[in-house]
Amino acid sequence: MAEPRSPVSASVAHNPMVPAPEGSTLEVDPMEFTLRKRLPRKLPKRRNDVYVNMKTDFKAQLARCQKLLDAHREICIHGLGLAINRAINIALQLQTSSQGALQLAANTSTVELIDDLEPDDPDEAAEPLTRTRNNSAIHIKVFYPNP
Amino acid sequence: MTGAKDRMREKKMKNQPRNVTYTSSGRGTGRGQGSQACGWVRGHQPGGHSYSQDLPKYITASYFAKARAAEVNAMLKAVSKPAGSCHVFNALPNHMRRRAMSHNTKRLPSRLREGAQRLAERSQRAAEKEKKQLPRSRSRRARRRHGNLLLEFNRRQRKNKWLETHIWHAKRFHMQKMWSYCLPLKPTAKSFRASYRAMNTHALLQDLSYFCCLELQGSEEQMLRALARLTSKQTGPTFAAASCLSGARQGSVHLYKADQFPQGCLGPADFLWRPRVPDASDRQLWIWIHPDLKQEVLSELQLVCQCSVSVSVSEESGPAVERSAGRKRKRDEDDAEEPSKRLLGDGTRPAGAPVRWQSPDTTITISDLTMEIVRYRLIGPLAHVVLTDTLQPASEEPSDAVSLHQQQTEVFQLLRGVCSTAELPAGCVLGLTVDDPRLTLPQKRGKSVPDLQQSAEDDRLRDLRLTGVAAHCSQSALWDTSARERVTHSRLSEQELNRMRSELLVPGSRLSADGQAAVPLLLVHQGGRVRGEERLHWGSGWDLLLPKGWGMAFWVPLVYRGVRVGGLHMSVKHSQFMGQPHFPHDYPDCPAGVRFQSEQEAELLEKFKRRPPSKRTNYIKHGCLAPFCCPWQQLTEEWEELVNLSTENVSCCRTGASDFTVLRSLKALRRLSAWTRPPSRRNSSTLTHATAAALQQECGPSLVWVRLRLLGKGQPALHAMVCAPTTSDLQLLLQDAHSSGPQEPRHKDHLKHLRQHKTSPEEPARAVRGVFPAPLPSVLSHCSRLTLGWVTQGDFSLAAGCGEALAFISVSGLLHTILQQPQEQRGLVLLRNPSSLQYRFARISIDV
Repeated sequence: MAEPRSPVSASVAHNPMVPAPEGSTLEVDPMEFTLRKRLPRKLPKRRNDVYVNMKTDFKAQLARCQKLLDAHREICIHGLGLAINRAINIALQLQTSSQGALQLAANTSTVELIDDLEPDDPDEAAEPLTRTRNNSAIHIKVFYPNP
Repeated sequence: MTGAKDRMREKKMKNQPRNVTYTSSGRGTGRGQGSQACGWVRGHQPGGHSYSQDLPKYITASYFAKARAAEVNAMLKAVSKPAGSCHVFNALPNHMRRRAMSHNTKRLPSRLREGAQRLAERSQRAAEKEKKQLPRSRSRRARRRHGNLLLEFNRRQRKNKWLETHIWHAKRFHMQKMWSYCLPLKPTAKSFRASYRAMNTHALLQDLSYFCCLELQGSEEQMLRALARLTSKQTGPTFAAASCLSGARQGSVHLYKADQFPQGCLGPADFLWRPRVPDASDRQLWIWIHPDLKQEVLSELQLVCQCSVSVSVSEESGPAVERSAGRKRKRDEDDAEEPSKRLLGDGTRPAGAPVRWQSPDTTITISDLTMEIVRYRLIGPLAHVVLTDTLQPASEEPSDAVSLHQQQTEVFQLLRGVCSTAELPAGCVLGLTVDDPRLTLPQKRGKSVPDLQQSAEDDRLRDLRLTGVAAHCSQSALWDTSARERVTHSRLSEQELNRMRSELLVPGSRLSADGQAAVPLLLVHQGGRVRGEERLHWGSGWDLLLPKGWGMAFWVPLVYRGVRVGGLHMSVKHSQFMGQPHFPHDYPDCPAGVRFQSEQEAELLEKFKRRPPSKRTNYIKHGCLAPFCCPWQQLTEEWEELVNLSTENVSCCRTGASDFTVLRSLKALRRLSAWTRPPSRRNSSTLTHATAAALQQECGPSLVWVRLRLLGKGQPALHAMVCAPTTSDLQLLLQDAHSSGPQEPRHKDHLKHLRQHKTSPEEPARAVRGVFPAPLPSVLSHCSRLTLGWVTQGDFSLAAGCGEALAFISVSGLLHTILQQPQEQRGLVLLRNPSSLQYRFARISIDV
């Protein structure tokens, strides 16, 4: 799975989710937060699962998929976010290099990513805030079809 | 000129007095050789004056006796000690000496026979005496009986304490005595890569019971007020951090001397609050510190909480003297064996030292819980799988808090569904009560694998990952002293267990847990690498906290699940791969760090001196001023001077030499971190001379902890130099991205001529060949590139795939350097090993 691209901590001005009581003019100061991205959930990895990311060399990933395909009859390529493009690229290149003997089956899914918001002043926050966002993932099964 | 003859003469004359002269009056004493009465003197007579003197008219007996007493003593001494060979055999001329005369005295002429016989008797008597003086030790079987072995172990532990798993480690690890503990250093088998793989993909186990635990009890506001003086908000979460205060998370903090931030750093500490009990108003806090820091932190805590009255003293549990004389022990006597093996006190305080302190004013009590709690650390993404395999929640619930136990059990079962330890929020705490893990010990060793089927999407699992464990589930009976002691005493011995196993109807089936006490424990999640951008959450794991006495009962079942075991060496590497400073190696401003550095310097120097002189690296020729010890104070002072000179800010407030500090304030680190990267549109603060000067003013003379990553070839070594590149070096890199870097010209060894002379008595500390003698010349400008700092941990990093180093560099130096660099190449430095002349390019990153 691709790691979230550039998990740089950025300062985010964020209003704490304190419900202001109705009818009062309570001013809540925006607190400064630091965003930290958490790694996405890793599915249990069988021998023939390949997770694709943007950091490793493309040729190296292609070679690894090719070797696994020779060993097993089918492999499953997973990619998250920007790595969807790369996963598709790899699958298609595998198919062309096998001269059409391989078949592909692709599924997409949504993965929930969690971010931790760390307040600058840790004594003030009531509890650590987490924010979730959704990202799309693709799972491509590459296999030799049974005759 | 010393020939053989003169040497023999020296040897014979060594007992003779050197400066006895006798005048020609003939009355003096000389050798027994007879009276050569012409004023023969021994010893140098300056001037060569005449020897003869006039005879005195009268002498006083007492004066005469006193003057001659010394000479008489000398003569007696000379006569009584036969120098060199035996005079009996020397009295014979050479042609009459025979080989067999040493043992057959009949070969000697009769006048010499008695002397020879006397000699023979004397040597025989000496031999007998030596033989008799050997103590007769007991037979090996007697020495190795169980009771005697335990007494022997207790005796050996008086100086250096043993951990509970000592014997297991001693058979498989090289042990080292440090901080008055005997700790495992590294395995005897070659297993560095295997341990790294275990940390990366499976699990690694370590015994960390030598960390000291201090417990504070009292009212919350008083404790927070007292502890706020020891920490500072600028370095991150303090003791009052809201997530940790509820007891749901463990926190880590840097301790300083009271009110002295940023000077006076003591070291890092982990802390854990007990979750709030609904009725009680008092709270409990555990602070875990390294044993090297313990005395300093304890005195600071006492100062800050005003706890001076010591309440109770640690008892010495004497070894049990009664033995069962060989018969099988009955079950009711199993307690008597325990005391002989129990540790006498612990390694950081003498037995009999106070253990609890109370304060007359505040309600705070400090207790010292060192070695009361066993701590095991599991590192790796499958650590939770190992734990769920080994631990079984107690089948019979404790009488009170049934529902709590059920909730904790549920959370524990949920852990199976988690795929990697890194998915949980860092620092969450789970309390649990489990059965004795020895009951479910597998027959053979195996390796825990994750359960592939059980990854169900569950709402509760999602909550667990989002918010961690709820605060009330972190409660555990481990916090109560009485509960701990009860559990320690009610432990079954190995003999008992084996007897139960032999009585089983079906051999090999699971032992039943009826009637056995359940063990309360705490599981604390460790976050791994939380700062920086790469390899987040690497090295996360779980800590297991157990009551005293249960160490081996949990260790063996854990090992049977296929974990690798690591020692101190592996924990240093763990910190290195996570990019975090390791205590005490990487804390140069703490007193414990200073002590460690001086010890390390002595060790490295000894190792250096052991090599033959022609095979040693000549650090002078390599231009390396500090291969063994890094002079941080000198570095920071020189950088301050340089920067002040360049900005012509003479009126800057340099109030004498203040001690350097390590920059830990998060805001300053964030700014520096942004400035050491090539600018992207995300970076908000711009780097100008004014802002840099402002930051420098704020920090004072300080060092910053950086991570260096080599761009190409190179493996950084310990104490490699970090240097600032010149503009021509950067141009070189622009032209050729794979260039290897500039080279340092070889220096001249100006101390060579000093070594050519023989030992001059007025120079007591002779310089070691190849090393600069103290005081060092200017550290900054000794080489062709300005020195920024030194590497404290450097190696080829298996995780990154290139050489990585962790170093301290001076803040003023860093700012000075990056101000002069073009924007795209900001953050590039040069790295040079102490035994090499080649500079390598590296990129700095400050992880925040």
